[in-house]
Amino acid sequence: MAQQNYILHSFDCLNGATAARLHDMGLCEGCPIKVVQKYPFHGPVIIENDHQRIGLRYAVFTSLTEAE
Amino acid sequence: MATVALIGNPNTGKTTLFNSLTDKYAYVGNWTGVTVEKKQGTLKGTDIVIIDLPGVYSLDPLTKDEAVVTNYLMHNHPDMILNVTNASQLKRNLLLTIEVLELGYPVVLVLNMIDDLRRAGYEYDLDILEKTLGCKVTATNARGHQGINKVREETIRYEALHPAQLNLEYPPMIQQAIRQASTALVNDFSFSPQVARWLAIQFMSKNKVIHKFAQEKKLAPLLNQQKYYEAQKFADKIFEVRLQFIEETLKSARQPLSGSNQVELTSRIDKVVTNPILGLPIFVLIFFIMFKLSFDWVGTPLSDMLDHFISGPVSSTVDNFLTNLGAIPALRSLIVNGIIAGVGGVLAFIPQIFMLFACISLLEDSGYMARAALVTDRIMQMIGLNGKSFIPLIIGFGCNVTGIMAARTVEQPKERLITTLIMPFMSCSARLPIYSLFVAAFFPRHQALIVLSIYFLGIVVALGMAKFYQILFKVKESSVFVVELPHYHLPRLDIIWHGTWDKGKGFIKKAGTIIFAGTVLIWVLSSFGTSGFVTNSANSFAADLGRILVPVFKPIGLVQWQAISALFTGILAKEVITSSMMVMFHTSSKAFLIASLSQFMTPLTAYALLIFILLYAPCFATLATIKQETGSTKWMLYSVASSLVIAYAIAFIFFQVGQLFFG
Repeated sequence: MAQQNYILHSFDCLNGATAARLHDMGLCEGCPIKVVQKYPFHGPVIIENDHQRIGLRYAVFTSLTEAE
Repeated sequence: MATVALIGNPNTGKTTLFNSLTDKYAYVGNWTGVTVEKKQGTLKGTDIVIIDLPGVYSLDPLTKDEAVVTNYLMHNHPDMILNVTNASQLKRNLLLTIEVLELGYPVVLVLNMIDDLRRAGYEYDLDILEKTLGCKVTATNARGHQGINKVREETIRYEALHPAQLNLEYPPMIQQAIRQASTALVNDFSFSPQVARWLAIQFMSKNKVIHKFAQEKKLAPLLNQQKYYEAQKFADKIFEVRLQFIEETLKSARQPLSGSNQVELTSRIDKVVTNPILGLPIFVLIFFIMFKLSFDWVGTPLSDMLDHFISGPVSSTVDNFLTNLGAIPALRSLIVNGIIAGVGGVLAFIPQIFMLFACISLLEDSGYMARAALVTDRIMQMIGLNGKSFIPLIIGFGCNVTGIMAARTVEQPKERLITTLIMPFMSCSARLPIYSLFVAAFFPRHQALIVLSIYFLGIVVALGMAKFYQILFKVKESSVFVVELPHYHLPRLDIIWHGTWDKGKGFIKKAGTIIFAGTVLIWVLSSFGTSGFVTNSANSFAADLGRILVPVFKPIGLVQWQAISALFTGILAKEVITSSMMVMFHTSSKAFLIASLSQFMTPLTAYALLIFILLYAPCFATLATIKQETGSTKWMLYSVASSLVIAYAIAFIFFQVGQLFFG
């Protein structure tokens, strides 16, 4: 699968706890990320940022990158 | 006596470092949330106490184990803080470091996993980091035992360290608000200036624990301004300043290394194990191999050898010795048929259980567990849980008590409760001895497969109940699932051994205490009857009790009083079922018990009994943990009642349907 690059654009649609956790991991609006792996059937998405790999749910991923 | 607190992000190697620094051992794993309670040890060769706190991403807790850290810092005054970080992910690790530095204790910043960073092709100038952050900085590779001595020396000289003083340049508006609030806190509530400043900043950053604290203590200078702080988005601004500071600091300290840019091991392994199509099959295969190792290839042969040794030489030597001493028959029976048979019978399963624990430790240490959480998240989502509940459930295979404790890492309270309630259906290792015994007696050619099917049934029931609770508790889709995938580590033998021993030592300890006591109790019940000491246990109290209950158990195929009486003792601890059987059949030989069992039970009945044993009431220790973690006796009692009903129902259906085919 081709690796795709995204810029995170909005944390507004997320629930507070998820947004807080992403912040804690150093992710913020405007951060560049790379998608490493997507699972079929809207399964989780693995993203990479600053040498760390993070697994997210599909819904969270789309709301973070929707405007693309 | 000095105290040093270890604080850091999850998965930065805090516990490994803790184990290298201290005499006492604490448990390590390569996934988030291994340390669910704080652990304590003393620095080798000194009386300095080191406290290993659970990993946290920030001081604003989302989970129960994260709250442990914030509460610790609010109510204790460590003499020094060792802030352990993952050198390759300093950007996000330093977010926590800033919060810790602002608190004003002496801090030593440890850049752990420095080897991973160097492999990625660069390094940090420690002097620049020390100057900008205002604290000691040192690099280690805790897994490779490098740099540990330096940390040890710094810790011993804790008194020479200056308190950290990091004053970030927040926007003027925030600076002024901090000044006002902290002056008032110092004057009206007599906090120290540093703590007052920290409290103000944390309050502005919307730390939930600090908000609660402010309300309890009625900290008016903060509470009165809360609306203003929120309207002006102080929290976001503080976060931005911190992140910018970190980026600048790291940029100035970063130094490229030449010629070490190799393709990463982690990426290569991840291509396979987190593959969208192969991920799940690989996961199933890994667990299949784990069971094969424990019950076919390695564990069972070793267990058999140990059993022959206990039931043969040990038992007969003691018997002869007692006969020569002229011990009375009742005493000889107690020792040989009671204690050696019961406790020894359970001890013979040590190789199998340790093998299973070694496999679980290996998976934890390598970093696979986080991937397992990821590949299973989609399935877990369907039953209203998330992949994170999965790790505690796997740990539940070892022991339900530790599984329930590990469920503290699940963020949503409802999801945590569901995970706790379904935990007893995960077949813990204490139930293994009885499975092993029955499969050897009734299904000698398909041992691993039958045991696996029992485990699988447990999982299915657990998932079904989870779905039921999801509907019952009306769990919404707002759960948090952000899982960090750590770099893979080459497993280290010493860490795996420590993990195995840590999980398994409880089993040996139980053999000496509760299993011993249960065995003696069973021996008494099965050796005495209305007519006093009886040689034939069919005339004993245990037999009477079992016979009374035969009508209840008949619909699930159980008509032998021995099995029914043994079930009762299983509530003490599941291992006791096996020892009870040994005692009631007056034998210390597994082979003899297997032969006698197969005489008066059919494979169908045996399997129905296994189902019942898998699902019926949790053991005492698990019940106590359920009570502690849910904070209610109601849930504990509910757990007993619901599991009894489910166990009976499923065993009943299985037996009745089975009879139609095989009856």
